[in-house]
Amino acid sequence: MTQERVRVVIVGGGTAGWMAGAALARLLSGQCTVRLIESEAIGVVGVGEATLPHIRAFNERLGIPEAEFMARTRATFKLGIEFRDWGRIGDSYIHPFGTFGRGSGAIDFHHYWTRLAREGHELPPLDALSYACTLAREARFDHPVRDAGTLPSTFGYAYQFDALLFAPYLRGLAEEAGAMRTEGMVIDVERDGETGLVRAVVLADGERVEGDLFIDCSGFRSLLLGQTLEEPFEDWSKWLPTDRAVAMPCRTETAVTPYTSAIAMPAGWRWRIPLQHRTGNGYVYASDFIADADAARALEEAVEGEKLAEPRLLRFKAGRRRRSWVGNCVAIGLASGFLEPLESTSIYLAQQAITALIELFPDKRASASDRDEFNRIIDLEYDRIRDFLILHYHATTRDDSPFWNYVRTMEIPDSLGEKLDLWRRRARVVKYREGVFLDASWIAVYLGQGIVPEGWDPRADVAGTPELLRAVGDLRSEIASEVATRPDHRGFLERYCPMVDAA
Amino acid sequence: MTGAGPIRDVLVVGGGLTAWCAAAALKRRAPFLDVTLLATPLAPDALADRIACTLPSLPGFQADLGIGVDDGVTRTGAGYRLGTRFVGWAEGLPDYVHAYGPYGHAIGPAAFHLHWVRAAHDGVARPFDSYSPAARIAREGRFVPPAPGSIFGAHDFGLTLDLTRHMAMIRAFALHIGVREMAGTVAEVRVDARGHIAALTTEQDRTLSADLFLDASGPAATLRSAIDDDRQDWSEWLPCDRVLLGTRVSGEGAPVLTDVTAHAAGWCWSSGEQVGLAYASQHLSDADAAAMLSRDGTAVDAPIAIRAGTRPQPWRGNCIAIGDAATQVEPLEWCNLHLALSAIDRLIAMLPDRAMAPVEAADFNRQTLAEAERVRDFLAAHYRTARRPEPMWQAVARAEPPASLAHTLSQFAERGRLPFYEEETFARDGWAAMLLGQGFLPRRVDPLVHGFPPHEVQAVMTRLSDAIAAALPQIPAHAEWRTGQMRRLAR
Repeated sequence: MTQERVRVVIVGGGTAGWMAGAALARLLSGQCTVRLIESEAIGVVGVGEATLPHIRAFNERLGIPEAEFMARTRATFKLGIEFRDWGRIGDSYIHPFGTFGRGSGAIDFHHYWTRLAREGHELPPLDALSYACTLAREARFDHPVRDAGTLPSTFGYAYQFDALLFAPYLRGLAEEAGAMRTEGMVIDVERDGETGLVRAVVLADGERVEGDLFIDCSGFRSLLLGQTLEEPFEDWSKWLPTDRAVAMPCRTETAVTPYTSAIAMPAGWRWRIPLQHRTGNGYVYASDFIADADAARALEEAVEGEKLAEPRLLRFKAGRRRRSWVGNCVAIGLASGFLEPLESTSIYLAQQAITALIELFPDKRASASDRDEFNRIIDLEYDRIRDFLILHYHATTRDDSPFWNYVRTMEIPDSLGEKLDLWRRRARVVKYREGVFLDASWIAVYLGQGIVPEGWDPRADVAGTPELLRAVGDLRSEIASEVATRPDHRGFLERYCPMVDAA
Repeated sequence: MTGAGPIRDVLVVGGGLTAWCAAAALKRRAPFLDVTLLATPLAPDALADRIACTLPSLPGFQADLGIGVDDGVTRTGAGYRLGTRFVGWAEGLPDYVHAYGPYGHAIGPAAFHLHWVRAAHDGVARPFDSYSPAARIAREGRFVPPAPGSIFGAHDFGLTLDLTRHMAMIRAFALHIGVREMAGTVAEVRVDARGHIAALTTEQDRTLSADLFLDASGPAATLRSAIDDDRQDWSEWLPCDRVLLGTRVSGEGAPVLTDVTAHAAGWCWSSGEQVGLAYASQHLSDADAAAMLSRDGTAVDAPIAIRAGTRPQPWRGNCIAIGDAATQVEPLEWCNLHLALSAIDRLIAMLPDRAMAPVEAADFNRQTLAEAERVRDFLAAHYRTARRPEPMWQAVARAEPPASLAHTLSQFAERGRLPFYEEETFARDGWAAMLLGQGFLPRRVDPLVHGFPPHEVQAVMTRLSDAIAAALPQIPAHAEWRTGQMRRLAR
């Protein structure tokens, strides 16, 4: 069966655009032609420097060798996210890409933990009872092992990398696989008078680029989906009020930590993402609560080393387009919606959209069935991440600024209210099989932000207290001695994937 | 907030396998509970207690209680099941097997069934189930438990029960671990102002109370229906409202592959001693049905009326309906006991405290309903995609499917996609086996398949099918396997 190839036109060439371009060119080369239009005159947002473990599956599917990719993007390993000052000032916890306890047994570890805590026992910090957290705190790294049931198998990992280097790396792969790049600025979009489908985009130099499927990777502008097709935007800013970020890289003065830090600030939070050659910083804030200049100053005062660039301002709004796929236009990345980078979900969302698009890749004429399924998948992703992000702000005792007073007392979505209720009452995590943040993530944030449940699984009462306390002590020392044999993160990077010098 | 304290005692009401499974599992896995079972007379219409064929969930459930294959299969005289063979569901097409195991393997980024669809479009596909190792073993009447690392390494098996012996085993186990049994019949259920069951009185004039009540009394839902009788009706999609069970004394041993054969007004099955007929009473009279089933000397029971549907809230207050008390479906694909076992597992993971917080019940109900609805969808899909000329079949094929099934079918019809749903009972390969077996062929070949030249894929498929054929003779016949197990135990 021979098929006419689908002409794919990608508008915008940042991380999302080149991820889409590389994936389509690699995996569907016989089915489509890929043309990507980008303009050097338009800046790349490129703050998505921290990722989730899912990116490994994406890279693997594209045949990207890890060490080469890390060297080229000056990447470091990421075992989780450290949250500082969230539940209250002075707190610090890690949301690991891994489990607490041994990750086995009929009853989840956190039920025992809750019981012992409620019984008033002195317990080690939760981080000490997670292999991933301990490895992170000790700034060590080694790949997980496959042996189920062993501690070094209880975690996954992601990367922290230079997003401005990732896109060119992917571009190389995409072009190698046959994608064509066109330098140019889209100034007009042509639509079919009858169907409303996008027929072509017109560039500043007058060239007209026709296509069957248009992928909008134009970032916040949402050139096709938002501006042209006028798909409405669902605004979530009443729950996620931050709407600006100021970003500024600096020299790394302290450790190259194998984790990202998210440090709560009076009107938002600050990220710290250590790469091999520098540390990325930024202050995500709500402009209703702090002036831009004050936010920039606060960031400059907080960063650890010499600044490597002037502070750069970004504006955004939390929420998403009602549908990401309309007609023959699919928005991927910021063009489809935005959730603040608190849990490093930006690249993840782009990746999920690309994966869904590949699984639902249309004919020359896109079918409603493919479109609807794509939108169903994307909605589910956004909605679940939304609740998880809101939890971070809401689960706090902070009352030291108007911003924290607002988020602490705001009304939350019912879906999150029920999750919190089940946790508070019975240490129960609402179960999903599909979705980005599963049990361990919710547990990490709940406990890390000080919500110790009032009840727990009654089956956790069967074991005697001394026996349990002994098991906790054993676990802690086993983790500590296991972690002590692992290499230092920086040393590991230097041997495994030393960065390639600037061209 | 949860100052109500832990629950201490549970009363299970029911007379069959479901009730005993619930009592045994609660006592075993939450040994701090006092579990009492009020053994009411077996409800004839409680299909979860009466159908001999089970899905693989029963052996798994037993294993969780510490009941292994020796006690839970061999000593109770159960046979092994690898799947179901559907005969006559799609006119003009050969029969097909829904086996509990993988069909082929992914080639590149595309699932096997997507490659098969291209081969079917090109007219070069062997039947889909010829690529399923378990289906092939089953078709030859052979059996082996999954042997990891081999070509027969990834299937599951269900059982064909000797119901009397099986219930005796679970009952003995339950009593042994401390479940208290009490015989009686419920006379009256007293519901308090909050909608909780305060107590129940038996006809023997005993008053029983508990923190938590489990209603495993069958469709009558003696306890749960005292609180409310909300239900969703599914009869539009599941047309059989009668089941007739029969016993065939001359029966050979239980077959490893259960035959389910469509007839003008429903379907019939044979699983060794137990045979049965499911039918729509509007299209077949009870007398004619009985005549049909008793043809070869089969002793036939009274017809069982079923109302397909579910309680959207099996859990309300301090009472949880389990099994047919919660959800009634015809026994197609053997889901009745499965849904009960799944609800029992869920309850154990979600044991309430005495506050019986509505938010906890809501979470249980959400999952339970999602699971029941996907079972409904799977069963309804058999009818929706069947091809038979008779009025019953025509009518049910025309009925607009429930939204979730409509979504699945439209996705599959377009390109063979099987969308993900939470709480799905049947694996994607199970869905594919049924839909493709009934000739429900996707319109398009998925683009991911085109990355692989047809002749290369064809070679992979042929190799797989040949490898299965070559390995088959080493697999023992089902009867031989069972005899071997019994001999081993006798030593």
